Amino acid sequence: MDPEAMKLLAAGLAIGLGAIGPGIGIGILGLGAMQAIGRNPEARGPIMLNMLLAIAFAEAVAIYALVVAIIIKFV
Amino acid sequence: MPKPSRRAKIIIGSSLILLFLIIGFVDPWHVFRVPFAHVQLPAEEVFSLFGFPITNTMLAAWFTIIVVVGLSYIATRKMKIVPSGLQNIVEAGVEMLYNFVRGVAGERYGRSFFPIIATIFIFVMFNAWLALLPFFGAGIYIKETGTPLLRGANTDINFPLTLAIVSFIFVEYWGIRALGLFRYLRKFFNIGGLLRGHILTGITDMFVGLMELISEFARLISFTFRLFGNMLAGELLLIAIVFLIPLVMVVPFYGLELFIGFVQALIFGGLTLVFATMAVTPREHG
Repeated sequence: MDPEAMKLLAAGLAIGLGAIGPGIGIGILGLGAMQAIGRNPEARGPIMLNMLLAIAFAEAVAIYALVVAIIIKFV
Repeated sequence: MPKPSRRAKIIIGSSLILLFLIIGFVDPWHVFRVPFAHVQLPAEEVFSLFGFPITNTMLAAWFTIIVVVGLSYIATRKMKIVPSGLQNIVEAGVEMLYNFVRGVAGERYGRSFFPIIATIFIFVMFNAWLALLPFFGAGIYIKETGTPLLRGANTDINFPLTLAIVSFIFVEYWGIRALGLFRYLRKFFNIGGLLRGHILTGITDMFVGLMELISEFARLISFTFRLFGNMLAGELLLIAIVFLIPLVMVVPFYGLELFIGFVQALIFGGLTLVFATMAVTPREHG
């Protein structure tokens, strides 16, 4: 297989497989936050703030995968 | 002509939008389509200053500084006790930031954390938002080198790296200032349990301390790549959408970019704040 085709395949796989984990993780975070808000609607502010913080951590991993894919494709 | 009703306005507006979308996509006169922009990861040099290369992201960062300083200057000229106009907006923004910092760090530390956290937040947010102006990116080209004149400062990996190093240095400095050097270092090199004779918990404590030390340094990389990846992905997304459908389609993605710029700034500042708060609290036991 020639290197160009391998590069394209690698870039696609990098971001595709790399986004599975964070996607599931962010979904689980959202579930926890929704349940917490449902139980206690008055605590909406702090819950959403903490959820956003945790989602940032989870999303960072997906962004690492994206940066690797971009570097493979364009550099 | 009588004033059109609300329903008529909605129908006319959406059919105009659809018309522009279709014209831009079909494009029989070959006027609207753009070529796919050449993506360049490292920032391109624009000119040299005393042998020091000045990249287009550096120019964009200077532009951001001029805008922020200019805004602050205009807002604080002829300050009034009861603010109005621009001074009002700026005061509201600063107060919201200050309440956020105080809410997370507590009353005593909120005051000393506030300048750095607010600076990081404002710098990142204005960098991200000003990169959406029309003359950024492919708007103004330099003829000799064929590179854009300005490019969003967050898309160069050096700026997120610099901010991450600044945040790291300040978190360590605040921790050492609050707890004293030895108590702060004892958080990471945690041999108190072993010295007291508890073997198993002592060993686990030591490893947990070492893991925390490694995670302090891993934060540098994670901060950098989070901000850099988000901003680069946003820039590429806009380029790709304009390549696919030239007219109108980009507008929702500009909204997404505004939102992501704000959220990434909040996350950078907020995470620095959280780590600083964790650094100044003494260990629970012992």
